[in-house]
Amino acid sequence: MKEKHFLLISGFLIGILAVVWMVPIYALISTSLKTQEEVALQKYLSPPQKPQFSNYIKAFDVLKIGLRNSFIISLTATFLCIFIGSMAGYSLTGFNFRLATPLFFLIVVVTFLPYHVILIPITQLLKTLGLLNTYAGLILIYVILNAPMATVITGTFFMKIPPELEEAAILDGCKPFRFYLKILIPVSLPGLVSATILVFIQIYNEFLLGIVLTRGPDVKPVMPFLAELKGSQIAQWHIQMAGAAITSIIPVLVFIFLGRYFISGLMAGYGKG
Amino acid sequence: MRYYKFQGFAFLIPILIIVSIFYGMIVWDLVAAFTHWQGLQPTWKFAGFYNFSRLFQLERFWINLRNNILWLVFFIVPTVLVGFITAYLLTNFKRGETVLWQIFLFPMALSFIITGVLWAWMYDPSSGLINSILKMVGVNTSKFGWIALPKTAIYCMILSAFWQYLGFALVIYLGAIKGIPYEMVEAARVDGASHFTISFRIIFPNVGHATLICTTMLAITTVKVFDLVWVMTRGGPGVSTEILPYLMYRLTFESRDIGMGTATSIVILIVSAIMVIPYSLWALKKWVRI
Repeated sequence: MKEKHFLLISGFLIGILAVVWMVPIYALISTSLKTQEEVALQKYLSPPQKPQFSNYIKAFDVLKIGLRNSFIISLTATFLCIFIGSMAGYSLTGFNFRLATPLFFLIVVVTFLPYHVILIPITQLLKTLGLLNTYAGLILIYVILNAPMATVITGTFFMKIPPELEEAAILDGCKPFRFYLKILIPVSLPGLVSATILVFIQIYNEFLLGIVLTRGPDVKPVMPFLAELKGSQIAQWHIQMAGAAITSIIPVLVFIFLGRYFISGLMAGYGKG
Repeated sequence: MRYYKFQGFAFLIPILIIVSIFYGMIVWDLVAAFTHWQGLQPTWKFAGFYNFSRLFQLERFWINLRNNILWLVFFIVPTVLVGFITAYLLTNFKRGETVLWQIFLFPMALSFIITGVLWAWMYDPSSGLINSILKMVGVNTSKFGWIALPKTAIYCMILSAFWQYLGFALVIYLGAIKGIPYEMVEAARVDGASHFTISFRIIFPNVGHATLICTTMLAITTVKVFDLVWVMTRGGPGVSTEILPYLMYRLTFESRDIGMGTATSIVILIVSAIMVIPYSLWALKKWVRI
């Protein structure tokens, strides 16, 4: 009987907490679909009378260049990170190098260190290379900052693959690169998907480098555009919320459809392999 | 496979270059912090601890440091504690667990900028969500300025990060609690132990690794909340919500004082390294089978 009460109360508490957690999201979506007059009434919890998709068109108009830039940069950088990272992960786990452990340590440290500590040298590096305000420059920096994480995550997954698989393949005359491409990648696809999702979301959500390494709108990623939208549409909550909704569509879709991989990537990335 | 060591090493070359660049930049940072570099052009003239002493004389630096400590305490402790309790309560349920943790984890996929835009609206004193709800239930909200008041601003900002990261702690603890041998908890339950005893005396000491992961990761996050500060308050009112990375940004890109900017980043580096290096050593043990 006592146990039943406990379950009832804790279910109730968690239920309330879950509702509180969802209210901001609900208010965001509902407000993003309202007219300015409706927003001015400040009845944020009531649903929109007639959904105003024009808010989204207006916000999209401001964000579209940023979205384009973000796609170009995030997709390219993510692909390179996963390619470089998975090769390194394979190399570190598959060949019994004597220096593999200390090297892995150096990579892990870099993975966790916040990039803010090298923000200034990053800008100087791109300035020296003449790559400020270019796609190539941003992609280069994102690869440098995220390939270590891709190495750690893919390496964690590669470790779970039985060494016999590789031995058998090598005995059959399979060269390492062929093994990597034709066997290792397909076998550890879930791990690669996890790493891809984590790296992609990290790059897509990044803001500070986007403002420091770009001038003007040409190559600026979407997050700085969203921050500017907030500054330029003061108290135009419906437009701001529409902008927030548009920029969160991609990560949210990833989370909904590939959430499982998101979790296993988080676990692998934080050392709970 | 040992015949192919050379090829195996070739796979490593790109990441070796990347990691060398990363550590190279840290060294560059260290060197620059000891030079008289102001303005756009580098002047590699040794300045000793000049930049650091200037930095430590700034009252603003100490306010920033205090704010960083406030973040460490008031962000980590509640997130870890509530995350653990929620995870424990969830493990008692047979159904609905997946839906619930997904609700809590969902904000993790959003960026700080999205969270910041959303919560800045919620906190708006005149037309924000929170005050409008309070007005609806008849509360006089004229005194509730949230992020507009220097005294409450930083705590409000921490609360929005708590909203975003609770799911992270929850999921880490959920995984750890499930790893505990069932018999141990069951034995205590048969002995009539209360839920409080089971959760804090038996389970909590056995999920130390989860606590370590959460604490360290959340601590590192307190450096990354730069974005949140930028988009919600720009460090204001006054400098009441500024944190060290923000000061570094202002000094470097607005005052063009590279010397002091790099000195600030060295302070951040030291603080981060204290958290990251022991954690990495610990994590390495779990990873490496080589």
